Amino acid sequence: MAQQAAKIKKRRLQDDGAWGYLFIAVALVVYALFTAYPVVSAFIISFQDYKPLGSTFIGFDNYVSTFHSELFWKSIRNTVVYTVLTVPVALFLSFSVAILILPLKKWMQTAFKAIYYLPVVASGVALSVVWLWIYDPMPEGIFNKLIGLFGAHNQNWLGTTTYSMLSLVIMAWLSSHGAAIIIYLAALLGIDESYYEAADLDGAGFLQKLWHIVVPSLKPTTLFLLVTSVIGSFQVFQNAYLMTGGGPDHATTMVGLLIFDNAFKYFEFGKAAAQSLILALIIAVISLFQFKFLGKDVEY
Amino acid sequence: MKKQLRIGSVVLALTLSVSSLAACSSKNDDSGAASPSGSAPSSSAATGAKDTITALLPPVSPTYQDNFAQMEKDFNALYPNLTLKIEPASWEDMTQKLDTQVNAGSPPDIAFIGSDGISKYAQQGMLMDITDTATPDMISDYDSAPLEYMKNGNGLYGFPAYMEVHALGGNKQFLEEAGIDWKKVQKDGWTYDEFREAIKKGVVKEGDTTKRYGFVFATSGVAAKDYLGILVKSAGMPAAFTKDLKYAYTSKNYLEVLKDVRQMIDDGSMPKELSSVDAGKRWNMFLTGQTMITGKGLATFENSANKNNAKIDANDGSAVKDSIKVDYIVLPVPSFAGQPPVSSTVVDGYVTFRGKKEPTAEHKANVVKAAYFLASGKVAATTNNDLFAAHITKTAREAAKSMTVNRNPDNVAAVETMLSHAAPARPDIPVDLGAKAIKIENEVIVPKMQALLANEIKPEEMYDAVKKAAIEAFGEDGIVQD
Repeated sequence: MAQQAAKIKKRRLQDDGAWGYLFIAVALVVYALFTAYPVVSAFIISFQDYKPLGSTFIGFDNYVSTFHSELFWKSIRNTVVYTVLTVPVALFLSFSVAILILPLKKWMQTAFKAIYYLPVVASGVALSVVWLWIYDPMPEGIFNKLIGLFGAHNQNWLGTTTYSMLSLVIMAWLSSHGAAIIIYLAALLGIDESYYEAADLDGAGFLQKLWHIVVPSLKPTTLFLLVTSVIGSFQVFQNAYLMTGGGPDHATTMVGLLIFDNAFKYFEFGKAAAQSLILALIIAVISLFQFKFLGKDVEY
Repeated sequence: MKKQLRIGSVVLALTLSVSSLAACSSKNDDSGAASPSGSAPSSSAATGAKDTITALLPPVSPTYQDNFAQMEKDFNALYPNLTLKIEPASWEDMTQKLDTQVNAGSPPDIAFIGSDGISKYAQQGMLMDITDTATPDMISDYDSAPLEYMKNGNGLYGFPAYMEVHALGGNKQFLEEAGIDWKKVQKDGWTYDEFREAIKKGVVKEGDTTKRYGFVFATSGVAAKDYLGILVKSAGMPAAFTKDLKYAYTSKNYLEVLKDVRQMIDDGSMPKELSSVDAGKRWNMFLTGQTMITGKGLATFENSANKNNAKIDANDGSAVKDSIKVDYIVLPVPSFAGQPPVSSTVVDGYVTFRGKKEPTAEHKANVVKAAYFLASGKVAATTNNDLFAAHITKTAREAAKSMTVNRNPDNVAAVETMLSHAAPARPDIPVDLGAKAIKIENEVIVPKMQALLANEIKPEEMYDAVKKAAIEAFGEDGIVQD
């Protein structure tokens, strides 16, 4: 009897399936606590007038007021404009830099990767302070000095509806491409040399190789970066919060900032949760379209 | 070996997750005596039972946070059974930290905030009314005007630390060069027309380039709210609501102020880039001689200017780059549309919070003791002297007698004059009306004001937008129509 029990115990300890469940249990618990629970909780709060001392159920009121809010639609429009202007250019710049780094020696590649990745490690707040300095509206501001060289008058970069969004877009264009560059570079290094050799034999030039070998080979990488960049761009918050506060006249109020304001400025957590879920739905639909239309001939 | 590896891996993974969970925990139960708001101390303070009072405090004055250890020690010496546990926070973190704790239902017992934040937290039901706990001795220690600011409805939600007036600050040398009798202005005030002429005289140009502006006020982002809020008080609108609770910013005087705001920029007395000038920038412009008058001005700015002057004298490299010596002169805000001057004030103080559970009477009494300790006597005297702010309690005035402050007596008198016609507190404004007004302010007034300053909309367009939002929020009968 005792021998049989020992055998069962031994079999349990050698059962790979059980060990597998045990291993994923840790990650599952963490996921359930810090990801799944907040999502479920946000879903519930979106139907409530949230108060720490007792919330009340108000049905779809938060969703209805969101759909009737001019400011919500303006923030969605601002976010779409920001995304359309920043993501394609950012991808193009990252791709171009990766192509430029590729032929370099390994130590130089590493050095450039580190240089380009550095802003990702730096504090976003510190970077914003530098950009505020660059966009100083007075004549001594760096951008104003720059345009002054061409005879232009100094501009109020962040203080006018004409330039504030453009200023945020320029900031996005010129910073933080590190992660995309590294991903592109890894993908470029993964392209089989034999393709280039065959192209050389056929007498293909640089642009032909780029168009017929590199671009198709990097399609899965580009799709991945496009989807994640669009998601990141739709959730953009920090730049608008630190640089313009959403102004002037809500010209740079992104949906992420609006959600933050509703939650932490007005304590309307129910409305903020509803808007978060609407945003999640919009992002999901856009991602679905991206996969459907751009991922057709992508092999993973 | 395989089995040992697996067990080891599981133990390691569990340890990591447990430690990460532990790091997320905000509870600090090292002593066992800590009593966050809402959880009652184990027994009564009257019996000398131990209790801990938590306070979230920002750097109220330059040396304030350096004194925390001494403040905790002094409080414990006064009440041996009580522990004051101070959590320092930066001004930048303060609101977010407090909001997070409030919404989690576990705020500190005391937090230092502006009295204008009281309605926000009262609406959440997270403030602790101390009307029945504050003793008559405590109440009678305070000047009545600032104490009123700590009320909402019939409730008293803490003690005020100071009542400062929102003034303007002038460079004495430049004012005199422009022929402005600043002593008379300090005494009698000035109208908008007088002010407009004065700031025109303060402008210095070299060709097309303005070397010095007459007036620069910080208006970047939400500071636009301060600018307009300070001006409209002296235009017959001391609060967002009239005494019969009608929304005031639809008055024709509001439009007059908006026109004047634009006019000062169009005159060239203020920079056309004003909408992007933040508090740091305009103070830098003041110390470097790029403006004659700056705003908003608080009493403590005289202290900052004096310190920078001393650094310039000592050839100290930490003086503001390119700064000049400045004699800081306190000036009142002009009055508009023939209305009497009403000073905008800022009353900050120690606000008392409760948690999800109803606090016991004993814990409440202990919190009140701690709030009073911080907002009166030696602590208040030291802090307010550091800020150059007027004392608002008898005990602080007494304690301050033995302390010396290097203030310009003309400025002290000017502040006293302005405080004599300070905007009164309005605890009668219901929380829901207040919340709607704040929303209009944040969603309409501030954004439109930014656009007005940037010359992208006309004063009339802003006025119409505010009126439209006000009618939507309060109805045609709920607003001033004159």
